[in-house]
Amino acid sequence: MPDRATVFLIDDDQAVRDAIRLLLETSGFTVQAFASAIDFLNMAVIGQPGCLVLDVRMPGLSGLDLQKRLRAQGYRIPIIFITGHGDVPMAIRAMKAGAFDFIEKPFQGQTLLARIEEALAADGQERCRQTQRADAAARLALLSPREREVLERVADGQYNKVIAAELNISLSTVEIHRKRVMEKLQAESLTDLIRLLALLQAD
Amino acid sequence: MTEPKDRASAPSGFAVIPQLWLSHSFSRMRLERGKAGYCHPAVLSLVLALGGLLWLWAINPLLITWLYPGSTLPSLASSVPSALAILAGAGLLYWVLKACNVAMHRTQCAQHQQLAEFIAYSPDPAFLKDQQGRYLAVNAAFAQLAGRPAIECLNQDDSALFSPEAVALFIDHDQRVIADGTASNREITLAIHGDTHVLLTTRWPYRDTEGCSIGVCGIAQEITAQKQAENQVYSANTNMESRIRERTAALQSINEDLERQIAARIQAEVALRDSQERFRQLAEHIREVFWVYGVEEERPLYISPAYEEIWGHPIDGLLERPMTWIEAIHPDDRARVQAAHITKCGSGYFDEEYRIIRPDGTIRWIWDRGFPVCDEAGRIYRIAGLAEDITRRKLAEDQLRRQQVELTRISRLSLAVELAANLAHQLNQPLAAIVAYTQACLTLLRQADTDPRVLTGTLDEIVNQGLRAGEIIRHLRELVQKHPAAQAALDLNALIRSVVRYAQTELNQAGVSLKLSLADPLPAALADDIQIQLVLLSLIRNAIESMGEQADGPHELTVSTAMADPGSVWVTVRDTGPGFRLDMEDDLFRPFFTTKPGGMGLGLSVGRSIIESQGGQLWATLNLDGGAAFHFSLPAYPDA
Repeated sequence: MPDRATVFLIDDDQAVRDAIRLLLETSGFTVQAFASAIDFLNMAVIGQPGCLVLDVRMPGLSGLDLQKRLRAQGYRIPIIFITGHGDVPMAIRAMKAGAFDFIEKPFQGQTLLARIEEALAADGQERCRQTQRADAAARLALLSPREREVLERVADGQYNKVIAAELNISLSTVEIHRKRVMEKLQAESLTDLIRLLALLQAD
Repeated sequence: MTEPKDRASAPSGFAVIPQLWLSHSFSRMRLERGKAGYCHPAVLSLVLALGGLLWLWAINPLLITWLYPGSTLPSLASSVPSALAILAGAGLLYWVLKACNVAMHRTQCAQHQQLAEFIAYSPDPAFLKDQQGRYLAVNAAFAQLAGRPAIECLNQDDSALFSPEAVALFIDHDQRVIADGTASNREITLAIHGDTHVLLTTRWPYRDTEGCSIGVCGIAQEITAQKQAENQVYSANTNMESRIRERTAALQSINEDLERQIAARIQAEVALRDSQERFRQLAEHIREVFWVYGVEEERPLYISPAYEEIWGHPIDGLLERPMTWIEAIHPDDRARVQAAHITKCGSGYFDEEYRIIRPDGTIRWIWDRGFPVCDEAGRIYRIAGLAEDITRRKLAEDQLRRQQVELTRISRLSLAVELAANLAHQLNQPLAAIVAYTQACLTLLRQADTDPRVLTGTLDEIVNQGLRAGEIIRHLRELVQKHPAAQAALDLNALIRSVVRYAQTELNQAGVSLKLSLADPLPAALADDIQIQLVLLSLIRNAIESMGEQADGPHELTVSTAMADPGSVWVTVRDTGPGFRLDMEDDLFRPFFTTKPGGMGLGLSVGRSIIESQGGQLWATLNLDGGAAFHFSLPAYPDA
């Protein structure tokens, strides 16, 4: 499935890496495996849709370090940590830094597969939302300053009459601005308009 | 006094005076002086007579003939009366002048006579000199002063009689007198024939009847004795004064001494009072009980107030009933202390630790010491002592002992936990692989069209992972079983190799390269291998973690061994991490001190306790090129 997201697997233990890769591939996932975090970064695959399955303790760049670096660069790819000896403080740190999950070895295949499925879905949603957001932002950029002012007040729930008085323009002008805002943002109703704004503000 | 020889030749006109010697020129003095304008009366009279006659018979007739030519000259006979008159006049003049001369001569002679008498009768040396400085008259005293017969002094000047120094003084004095024309006094010190003479000399000009200075008179008073007396008085005076000063000074110092002694005595009294006061304060305020036991009285004589606080009994009760002391002692210690007490009365010495039970039931530990106090005969008549409450110290000792036991237990336990954790971690890897492989196989098998033969490779992997797990367990067992005995001969190099192998996974994961620098041969150490393994592992972990704190730079761990001296063996764990601040060096080994965010801080303090309990030391240093080094020493195993 070419459009299917990829599972990026990073573990320094070759046996574990092979085993998990086999498990995931037999379950129908596209898997790319790496022996270290550095290898992963060097392959320039970040930014692709998918999720990370990451060993916490690795020589060189550890799992937690990689997580930190990715987040710093603005990547929101979901990360599932797997660890040979899970200690609580480490799990807490990972989760606080936005890990998708923290799974101890050895684990039930089903558990990992289910979590990966969820992570990929979350990534898909996130990507979709991001696309929408980018789209909305692009449309919002088309508005003139005056139209933006009118939009803000409309979103606040103000009547046209109040807006006209506040901006010191005629009621008919307000209506024209409002109509143009709806057109530019491709909103069919006031509800559409509010949702779009909420999407942008959620960031 | 020698009889002057030329007394007979004394000038005429002078009475013979004993002790006076006169020069012949003495009587001529007046005449010599008069020669210049002096004319003998006979010559004068003769000149006048001849002049008168010449006038009468020669000059007068000539004048008349020249003035009055033609007049007749009186006859010679007629002028005889005039000539007789002239002769008579001249004779009269001679007589008068002669009389005057004789009178003057007499006056001069009288003056000379007076002076001569004065010189002769003066008990002091006296003299008369002419203007040339020659002695014309001297007396016997003068001769004695000059040190030669008087006759030899006459007509001599000073230079012939006295030393050159004296001559200069005399001439100067004479000149002064002649120049001033008045008398002058001088005190002159002379050395004559080896004796020092002090003379008070008075000199005055000698004048003739007309007041002209014709010589110098002098008289010298010998004041040597007087001077000596004066000097003696002066020196006696000085001597006296200095003795008075000495005596005054001596008195003063005696006085000061006395004052000092008095002050010292006062001070001593104050000090004694103070020391008594201090003793009282000390005895009453120290936390120890100070006691004095009377050997003959067989009871305590003094007990300091701390007793009431420690024992919880009133002092009066103890003084009245000495047995209270024994009764308060814990039954387990009582017999021993009682025996020691009996010995104490003989030897005077006492040193016991015992427990007491207070009225409220609590137990206190007491350290009681006594020392003998002897009388002059050397007999022990008292015993003084201190009883100290050492409960706190005893508890601390107990606690320390318990802590040491606990430490040993913890170190064993933590090694077990450590091994378990490591085992779990290492086993998790093959287990995870096995589970994943198996589940992959299951998934494939569940698919209808799967050929089971494709699973062969995967199943082989599963077998490999199972063997890997077995290998891990075997390694761990080796580590534990290799050196089972505590405090045995320990090959540190072998121990380091096994610990390093054990920590290899962690080193790999942290990307730390390892270097071993082991001395070979290395004497065996005497230590408990399990505990040393634990310390070494803890040091290696610390090093790994500290190097993990810094992202860049080399990550290198060096473990080395060395023989420091014949008695001990050193192990050093060196890292290239950030090191530590020098002021934190001591803190490093404090329990619960840590520089690591997740650390408990027990590692180094426990490590140091372990090493010290094995008779070694653990310390930290900074590397010159960065990073820290931890060293521990262990005693070498004594050769059999």
